[in-house]
Amino acid sequence: MAPRCRRYSLPLRRSSTGSAPRRLASPVVDSASICGAGSGVAAAEGSGSRGLHSGVAWYAGIRGQLYEGKGRGKDGSKQVSESYKWSSGMSLGGVRHARTASVAAVGAKFTANPEDCIEVSVDGSNVTIAKGMTVLQACEVAGIDIPRFCYHPRLSIAGNCRMCLVEVEKTPKPVASCALPAMPGMKIKTNTPLVKKAREGVMEFLLINHPLDCPICDQGGECDLQDQSMVYGSDRGRFIEAKRGVVDKNLGPLVKTVMTRCIQCTRCVRFASEIAGVQDLGVLGRGGAEEIGTYVEKLMVSELSGNVIDVCPVGALTAKPSAFTARSWELKSTESIDVSDAVGANIRIDSRGPEVMRILPRLNEEVNEEWISDKARFSYDGLKRQRLNEPMIRNSEGQLEPVSWAKALKTVAEAAHKVNPAEMAAIAGKLSDAESMMALKDLMNRLGCERLWVEGNGENADADLRSNYLVNTTIAGLEYTDACLLVGTELRHEAPLLNHRLRKAVRNSRAKVASIGPELDLHFKCEHLGNSSDALLSIAQGKHPFAQVLSKAKFPSIIVGSGVLQRSDKDAVLAAVQSIVQQANMIRDDWNGYNFLLLNAAQAAGLDLGFVPGARAPVGDKSSIKFLYLMGADDLTPEDIPADAFVVYQGHHGDRSAYRANVILPGVAYSEKEGTYENTEGRTQQTSPAVPTVGDARDDWKIVRALSEFAGVTLPYDTVNGVRARMLAVAPNLFRVDELEPATPLPKESLPESKTKLESLPFKKVVDNFYMTDAISRASKTMAQCTAAFSSS
Amino acid sequence: MLRQVANRGLAVLRGAAASQRACATRVVSDRPQQIQQFGVFSREYSTALNLHRNTSDNNPDVPFEFTSANMEKVKEILSHYPKNYKQSGIIPLLDLAQQQNGGWLSINSMNKIAEIVGVAPIRVYEVATFYSMFNRQKVGTYHVMVCGTTPCMLRGSRTIEATLLKHLGVERNEVTKDGKFSVGEMECMGCCVNAPMIVVADYSNGVEGYSYNYFEDLTPERVVEVIEAYRKGEKPPHGTQHPERLNCGPAGGLTTLLGEPKPPPCRDLAAC
Amino acid sequence: MAFALVRSALGAIKEKGLKGAFRAAKEEGYFAALLDGNLANSKFRIDGVKLVGVDKAGNRYYEKMSHVQHGRHRWVVYADKVYNASAIPPEWHGWLHHITDHTPEQLEGLRPSRYGVEHMKNRTGEGEQYIYHAKGHALNPNKRDWKRYEEWRPVE
Repeated sequence: MAPRCRRYSLPLRRSSTGSAPRRLASPVVDSASICGAGSGVAAAEGSGSRGLHSGVAWYAGIRGQLYEGKGRGKDGSKQVSESYKWSSGMSLGGVRHARTASVAAVGAKFTANPEDCIEVSVDGSNVTIAKGMTVLQACEVAGIDIPRFCYHPRLSIAGNCRMCLVEVEKTPKPVASCALPAMPGMKIKTNTPLVKKAREGVMEFLLINHPLDCPICDQGGECDLQDQSMVYGSDRGRFIEAKRGVVDKNLGPLVKTVMTRCIQCTRCVRFASEIAGVQDLGVLGRGGAEEIGTYVEKLMVSELSGNVIDVCPVGALTAKPSAFTARSWELKSTESIDVSDAVGANIRIDSRGPEVMRILPRLNEEVNEEWISDKARFSYDGLKRQRLNEPMIRNSEGQLEPVSWAKALKTVAEAAHKVNPAEMAAIAGKLSDAESMMALKDLMNRLGCERLWVEGNGENADADLRSNYLVNTTIAGLEYTDACLLVGTELRHEAPLLNHRLRKAVRNSRAKVASIGPELDLHFKCEHLGNSSDALLSIAQGKHPFAQVLSKAKFPSIIVGSGVLQRSDKDAVLAAVQSIVQQANMIRDDWNGYNFLLLNAAQAAGLDLGFVPGARAPVGDKSSIKFLYLMGADDLTPEDIPADAFVVYQGHHGDRSAYRANVILPGVAYSEKEGTYENTEGRTQQTSPAVPTVGDARDDWKIVRALSEFAGVTLPYDTVNGVRARMLAVAPNLFRVDELEPATPLPKESLPESKTKLESLPFKKVVDNFYMTDAISRASKTMAQCTAAFSSS
Repeated sequence: MLRQVANRGLAVLRGAAASQRACATRVVSDRPQQIQQFGVFSREYSTALNLHRNTSDNNPDVPFEFTSANMEKVKEILSHYPKNYKQSGIIPLLDLAQQQNGGWLSINSMNKIAEIVGVAPIRVYEVATFYSMFNRQKVGTYHVMVCGTTPCMLRGSRTIEATLLKHLGVERNEVTKDGKFSVGEMECMGCCVNAPMIVVADYSNGVEGYSYNYFEDLTPERVVEVIEAYRKGEKPPHGTQHPERLNCGPAGGLTTLLGEPKPPPCRDLAAC
Repeated sequence: MAFALVRSALGAIKEKGLKGAFRAAKEEGYFAALLDGNLANSKFRIDGVKLVGVDKAGNRYYEKMSHVQHGRHRWVVYADKVYNASAIPPEWHGWLHHITDHTPEQLEGLRPSRYGVEHMKNRTGEGEQYIYHAKGHALNPNKRDWKRYEEWRPVE
């Protein structure tokens, strides 16, 4: 048994003194809720998930936080890494289950106030815990792992697996620790022979109907049941009757079910109804015939459905696209960032050799908790298809033919010098990283071109006020809102994780949500106020009843979708939004409820870097463009590109624009580079290369740098650090990786005057198909299957 | 010639060295016997499949609506529960729907109840699959359930069931061709003193005429008479079928406790 | 025995002529058998030599249970002149090396039906096509493709 470190009263003293000022606009000022917004030290310090078992790290983070109070300082990080060390040491044979203490799951809030703490004894040593914590959580605080299957800190407590039995003094029987609230002075024993025997009995019962197919099970090697049976299982069975078989359920192209392996922990049922918001799964039957299913043939239509795979402690729910392709121990894990939407979910890319085998979420309380969207999780097979692997030039016959890098770059440089700078334009695609956008901006500016924009930001993007294009409540802070207005956004498709946060607000604090825009079931109660800007206007004028709801709310918020930017009257819409913001007093010292939701991973960094048209750049008419540099920009229609324009396509996938290109410069995908991305709340994060680049492809910023040399305007940086130094000069926040740089709230006087009149136009859908939005997901077979399977929804 | 020699040699070898080969021959010839008879165990659950498969009479296109009279009952049932806990009424509503629907719950009847109480359909399916008294497949107009628990089994419930099945010419959980009868099994219904017993759920007259009657102290002859009475449209007297028994009293009258029981002796208080 | 020998020798002379018969006898190894007791045993099948079986390749397996040094009572006569010990299939190998007393015919019932493959002798040195190359070897004609992506080709 690993040595266990226990701290008694010391941490509490420290917590009361060591509170650092909170930078976040989280309204819960006096209480550092354990899983609350912006307080996960683990995530903030970047040490959050160094370990293989993210649960352990989370645990460590919570520990650190518990003892550091609200602190996010240096001290806190030290504590985290120290506590991580010993907490991982005692994890039970590599069990993932060292998760702990989301007090939200119990509905209690932990405050650093000593009056709200109780003392219990765990295995003879006293620990101080928050009121309302369960016995299991108390054991976690004491540093003792309790085996569990059904208990999951983010889900409601079921207490049906009985694996977490412990002995509590003066109780006649062992008790299920996950469901028992800890009481002051409780004496908990976790290592008595009675406990061991009880758990062994539970394990034997669980294994009665569990098949012995670990060698062909995809969960093998990372299975909670496998791990825990090493401790509590018997080496022989006493069960000689026939095991039961259960009909497999069809949950769609993402989740593979082998229901015979199911141990009825009901985590997936609770996940579906509590997190994903789809009431499809249920527990059917009773006793030995009990099973998990949908009863009727029904697919699980949720953008978060892939997370049931992680939630399942056994191999009953596994990933269909990666079925039978890899074993967990032969994979190399790389911590990275998802770029399929602007939320920037933290992911772990598991690769084998040159191949990405799967993508899993990584814990970051402030961004994605432990969930990721299905597109982030399953579009990786697009990384292997339709790749651009060598430079190509369109020859005199109009055919694209492979050429050397030197020739390709020379051709581009010559073409660029042939045209007037006013006739040039550069568009950065939705997956571009900040480094390459920086380099491209510098190159184009040196060539005299100022007509640049990032896909999704629109051709006349305004980057003047940072708070105007960020989610100012922060992603985690959105949970605190009690009234929210959605303008022109299909939140569930544009940012499923943000939708989940808003859903949490609705569930936990009965936030009132209304939406103006395309109608879509957001999986929570949302009043649809029509799809016309008239409703927006009537709220702005205070006539609409929802205006009262917003102004009465304590923490009102508004989320504006980036589809608004495509409207001709975008200024008027934003002005109307600003007047709603003012009327509802959304921007205060402790709360900034104005949120602009970006759509793509590149947008925020592009705006921060000023990758927007300069003052002298022509606007509108694209027909004058003679030289068009597309850095992975694929959302252009053929009509957007003049027939005589020279098109350079730099990117990693042969997607739409590659067919029009005159020169193709192969770049790398996010899984192959170290790129800086900024998410929609202004948090800078970096991807890390998990697999090698394909063929002759090169890092995007290097291509631009090489091109600058051919064009005779050599950029002054040769290393990635050189580019970042340049970024530091332009947008310092992009240099501070893993940190959230909140925008300074806008002073009320400086509101922009609307130049246009609000038109009575409907808000358009910006995401036609959630599963296929970018070059990678469009190349993915899995995403195509999802499109086919879920298109009815 | 070589082959002949070889064969002859082998024949000799086979004959002479039989004992030597004992090991190998066992391996070869015992093979079929190695499969031991473990397969005889099988678990039979009284509940039906926990899955819905569309059939001609049970699919989402077959409509279900509560009749207006029953809708009143629905309102009455829901009035027992707080407005925000309407789902508490799922079980009584399922019971009502089952009575109206001729003894079983179609997929749309469950959907309808989900709609009425305002929950997702799966929450109703969960309840309906959990309770074995909710039939999710067609049953006969008279659904006969035989108690199979220990006291009844000791008193001959298996004979009763076999008689019923033979008399009606059906398997367990199967409906007779005329749709009138079906036989199922139930766990203890609390009538052990008058074992063996059956229950007949009568769905012939909808919700108003619904009855759920116990027939106790059965003999194979008597159970056939009960069934035949139902077939004729009669309502046979329910309760104990023993001619000499009244309710659950002793057959043939009391044999003990005939007089006034003696009071317990009281200790001599004066002696204290 | 001796009669049969003389008769077959005379028959051969009659058929091929003296010179031809002599050459055939030499090729068949009858003269070498004069110097090699085991070979003589198998060639002339003197007292108590039993032909136990012949495998698919034509190798013959003999046994002599008496008047022989223990450990030399089982032997094989290869079908090929230039022989190779790997020509012996595993089931006969077992018999030859006293791993089992049962011949393959007797053990036929134990042969795995699904995945048992026919024995093949080692062909090393018999030509390029027989050289084994690992799946990643450059000379393996079925060399595995380690490229794990599909490149884009402009469709015209």
